[in-house]
Amino acid sequence: MDKLLEVKNVSIEYKTEAGIMRAVDDVSFSLDVGESMGLVGESGCGKTTLAKSIMRLLAKNGKVSSGEIIFKGEDLVKKTDEQIRKLRLNDIAMVSQSAMNALNPVHTVGKQLIEGIQAHTKMSKDEARRRAAEVFKMVGLEEKRLKSYPHQMSGGMKQRAIIAMALSLNPSLIIADEPTTALDVVVQDHILQQIIELQKAISSSMILITHDISVVSETCETIIVMYGGKIMEQAPTKVFFKAPVHPYSLGLNNAFPSITEIGEILISIPGTPPNLLEAQRGCRFSERCPFATGKCETEEPKLEFVDENHTSACHYNDQVERFREESAKPEVWAKVSNRIFERRKEGAS
Amino acid sequence: MAEPMIDIRDLTKTYPIKRNLKDLIGGVRHEVKALDGINLTIEKGEILGLAGESGSGKTTTGEILVRLQDATSGGITVDGHPIGLKGKHDRKRFRKDVQMIFQDPYETLNPRFNVYDTIAEPLRIHGLKDKHVMYDKVIEALEIAELRPAEQFIYRFPHELSGGQRQRVAIARGIVLEPKVLVADEPVSMLDVSIRADILNLLKQLRDKFSLTMLYVSHDLSTIKYLCDRIAIMYLGKILEIGPVNDVVADPQHPYTQVLLASVPVADPDHVKERIMVDDEVPDQIHLPQGCRFGPRCPYFKPECLECDHTLRMVSDNHRHACVFAKDELIRNDVPKPVEVEEKPL
Repeated sequence: MDKLLEVKNVSIEYKTEAGIMRAVDDVSFSLDVGESMGLVGESGCGKTTLAKSIMRLLAKNGKVSSGEIIFKGEDLVKKTDEQIRKLRLNDIAMVSQSAMNALNPVHTVGKQLIEGIQAHTKMSKDEARRRAAEVFKMVGLEEKRLKSYPHQMSGGMKQRAIIAMALSLNPSLIIADEPTTALDVVVQDHILQQIIELQKAISSSMILITHDISVVSETCETIIVMYGGKIMEQAPTKVFFKAPVHPYSLGLNNAFPSITEIGEILISIPGTPPNLLEAQRGCRFSERCPFATGKCETEEPKLEFVDENHTSACHYNDQVERFREESAKPEVWAKVSNRIFERRKEGAS
Repeated sequence: MAEPMIDIRDLTKTYPIKRNLKDLIGGVRHEVKALDGINLTIEKGEILGLAGESGSGKTTTGEILVRLQDATSGGITVDGHPIGLKGKHDRKRFRKDVQMIFQDPYETLNPRFNVYDTIAEPLRIHGLKDKHVMYDKVIEALEIAELRPAEQFIYRFPHELSGGQRQRVAIARGIVLEPKVLVADEPVSMLDVSIRADILNLLKQLRDKFSLTMLYVSHDLSTIKYLCDRIAIMYLGKILEIGPVNDVVADPQHPYTQVLLASVPVADPDHVKERIMVDDEVPDQIHLPQGCRFGPRCPYFKPECLECDHTLRMVSDNHRHACVFAKDELIRNDVPKPVEVEEKPL
């Protein structure tokens, strides 16, 4: 299949008062035309930073320090701001987490939508209005809602309007950053369903960013797990949820409550993510990993294929059977907890 | 059976709404019914989960229980003592018995208080003067909240702690007075998945070790299923279903519960979802629908539903629901049409 987006060895750095923080470190992945990909990880793992860099929406102190972002054969990193601006909405659209609060309260939703369409196409106002009504229908909003002000709409309706906006020009790539986190579960389910249907209908690709792996399971074809600015594992969703390989993925699966299982035991991953202001050595997950060895602390593992389309960044991919068995036991993770406790103590004295 | 730890009777909470000129002249008075005759009991050492969408009244119930708000009518007794007492002395005793953990550990800790002061404050307020005893109690609370080594944390300030650690400080502050009841309102929703489980396990342990009674308020049904013994499903100020958590999740009776459970995402690609399509919009709380409040959205709606007064019917001993029909009597109306998707290139 054709590749729509190729991210090659991208690193992103933020300049902060405390020094340079490398939020994304040497990350590569590619996205096919029509593919939907879920990007998951804890807060601070770099998933949002990575997505924002594609649309050049990073905060002022952040920039892509190395690597290429190839979109439809052209490197986005080298483009001028004006070229990127033209690309937004037309080719790449974003639905962000708090997007529904980004609507301008003093204009009707329709005006804002029509304005966006007109800014990026040569459509007349009438054509733009017709298009707006069309996309509103697609997301399940009545046409008369175009005349509503944001405060007259519920959260779910506003989020739908935002999605309508994102889809209005049939973008080839949709980036959805936690699009449903602030919504109630029934509405969340509907909107996710709709995003997927619409994405298929206009045959665009999608990157869905979320901390909720169950959402990815229901909506995406592939999944990328990030940790500490690095990709830990990438796999087709179906494979990932049956047979995760990386110890971090195993840990995430353990920590996640499921509505269908009765009598499960949840085990969380002890410790906290690495401080990216400091130089990183070895595997970033090693401090919290129950299977870490001396090698893990000094040598950084590379993403390696464990199967077709399935990669994992662990030195011990071959021992996955043992890891799976062991990682289901709470005492295995408790050992990590004790290890971190001992180190904290040492650090103090 | 022994007397329940918490007994909520006919609890009602209404908020008045600002009237415009037309209403003033017409003498119309509108109000929002946040809670409408809630009855609940929680046994000692039991964890009850309150679930529902926003506007269902779950948070209001929790806040009335810890007396952050006053009820409009109805009564609550905690361990046999009615709350809502005016005297200062009673209020102090009540605070000792009932404590709360909030959603956002970033906002509920005073940034100028270090961990020690945060946890010691309730002890000071309740008249503890002996510094050594206070120190020991603070350390003990931190140890119970699994913030170890405790000595290393006591002089830290909230900004030096991670989200999970902050929530542990909040829990330590909540338990330092050895309360009988803990109300937790969405305590894990702001936390990362990898640490959520820890906080849930900690709450479980508190119940097991100190037979603490808990009201756990959350919109997240998966965490309720993991932590709670019983669950109550709320909708627009009414309880629609209540029962042992496993029974309700495995065999939901009320159509609303069925819809809610069917919407929860499942991390299993083989799981086949039986979606029940309903309208997203919750009716507004001022003009509540006649009869069953879920009626306007319900796929099984029948004229009988207009007569519904939300009386809870028994399914089994503890499992009750407020639908006028039993589950096997429900007949689906016309399935609402799915949204049409048309491809129209520009």
